[in-house]
Amino acid sequence: MATLSLIFKEIRHRKVNFLLGLLAVVTAVALFISFFTAAKASNRETARLMLSMGFNLHVISNETDMTEFLLTGLTDKTMPEEYVQKLASPKGFSYNHLLATLQRKISWRGLQVVLTGLAAEVCPPGQKKPPMVSAIEPGTAYVGYLVADKLGLKKGDTIDINGIALKIARCLFEQGGVDDIRIQCHLQDAQEILNLPGQISQIQAVDCLCFADTNDPVSILRREVASILPDAQVFHARPIATARAKQRQMIKGMFAVIMPFVVIVCGVWIGVLAITNVRDRQQEIGIMRALGYGSGRVTVLFLGKAVTIGLLGAIAGFLIGTVLALYFGPDIFKITAKTMVKPELSLLFWSLIAAPLFSAASSFVPAMIAVAYDPAITLREE
Amino acid sequence: MSMVRLKNVTKTYRTRRGDVKALDGISLQIEKGEFVVVRGPSGSGKTTLLMTIAGMLHPTSGIVSIGEKDIYAMSIRARARFRAENVGFVFQMFHLVPYLNVAENVVLAGGTVANKNSKAQAHELIERLGLAGRIHHKPSELSAGERQRTAIARALLNRPKIILADEPTGNLDPDSAGVVLGYIKNFHRQGGTAILATHGPAAKEFADRTIYLRDGGIDNSGSQ
Repeated sequence: MATLSLIFKEIRHRKVNFLLGLLAVVTAVALFISFFTAAKASNRETARLMLSMGFNLHVISNETDMTEFLLTGLTDKTMPEEYVQKLASPKGFSYNHLLATLQRKISWRGLQVVLTGLAAEVCPPGQKKPPMVSAIEPGTAYVGYLVADKLGLKKGDTIDINGIALKIARCLFEQGGVDDIRIQCHLQDAQEILNLPGQISQIQAVDCLCFADTNDPVSILRREVASILPDAQVFHARPIATARAKQRQMIKGMFAVIMPFVVIVCGVWIGVLAITNVRDRQQEIGIMRALGYGSGRVTVLFLGKAVTIGLLGAIAGFLIGTVLALYFGPDIFKITAKTMVKPELSLLFWSLIAAPLFSAASSFVPAMIAVAYDPAITLREE
Repeated sequence: MSMVRLKNVTKTYRTRRGDVKALDGISLQIEKGEFVVVRGPSGSGKTTLLMTIAGMLHPTSGIVSIGEKDIYAMSIRARARFRAENVGFVFQMFHLVPYLNVAENVVLAGGTVANKNSKAQAHELIERLGLAGRIHHKPSELSAGERQRTAIARALLNRPKIILADEPTGNLDPDSAGVVLGYIKNFHRQGGTAILATHGPAAKEFADRTIYLRDGGIDNSGSQ
């Protein structure tokens, strides 16, 4: 009789044992999937929340007067625009989300405004991620709250700055900061308005040193940037970086504590069920051994059942975990939920590999116990 | 020609309360085609003797041969294969696999030997043993007699040279017991060697020879 057929017939016969084993795997996989999806969304959410505090890494010309820069957040020194591509070309560096900007304080229609030109965000090779800042289309502008309010501007209006026409794509909500007097446009438009073709004033970025074992991340960043752009300097907004790092470390720490706990509990659960199953099947194992079935075949019967539980548990757990993440995610991650809380199909693939291995590993000792049963002893028992 | 030969076989079980000698220096020969009944009170070593002959219980000392082969000189795998091809076992408790039906329980014995016709032979045996109407029934849906007949069909599937039956009628009513013993006798009539362990008088009339066991040894006085 085929081994698979024996496995499925036994499963049908001992449904409760099978369902309890399945429940253990489903629980482990569903928790892993929902936690993983939530942790990923949480990272994105944190990144987006931190973004509202500004990027934490600023690369500016080393001719910049730092006192002025720290006072105003602006520099009148510029760098070539291709610096951003240079900075984005090496692999394995400690920053990401490179955003080239050109900023100037200008007088426009009787107001002091900050004109900010933004390029599309670029990522170093192998670190491709969804942009933190949505790109601004050329010929359009985002207008800060105070500017729009004072000048009575609204979405769809066309404004003219130094002879360049820009259609207002968005009027921003009140931010309570410099963003309220900012007009954002595409980098090329800003370069034309300011007559600084091919120039940028800074490159903003996010460091990737949240989990690095160092107390001095800025020296790492300065060393990396200096190796590519010797005429630039690095300014690290430490409070933002620290807040971001702590948030991410907290999520990772929580994941690192909860997941092993869940996995161990579910592993023990499956193991106990497998031992119960072995005890229930002592006579059956005995008769099979008496009929000449070798230890390999008996092992395959038990591990085959475990793998079956693992495969079905992986599929059901993935579906349940994903549904949980999709259902509760939007309530928790209000900013990024729509784009970031989504089914992670790669997790199904890994679940289909890991869950059967996990289930088989949990059943390994009971399977060995089954193999070690002396048929003479079990068949003598009445 | 001897089918089964035991030479000074002892089997000692180690327990927390000390060693228990289940077989104590047993030497015997059973000829090919012989029907031997092993009798003795509970705990006399009948089951241990059968398990030892079946190659399932390594003796503490002594030699057990089937045909010309010292079965405990074989590897575990070779012994399992030898047992599957040469020995059929019938137990008092039937030991059927609870989730397999009659046909599947019988065919299970064919899973370890190179027998392409095991399914057809299983159906033929099931019919011969009067179980055709129960072929798709699970053990829990069978009477005790039907379960034991299924176990006999399983034991006969690989056309063994020897049938070892351990109290095969112990859980059966007299009618069913008669039927079961009839099938074992029929196997013997066709040239098979049958060794039947019992503590009662069952099968006495079929036996070519009766061996009495007491305290793990052969009681040559013939009394019980």
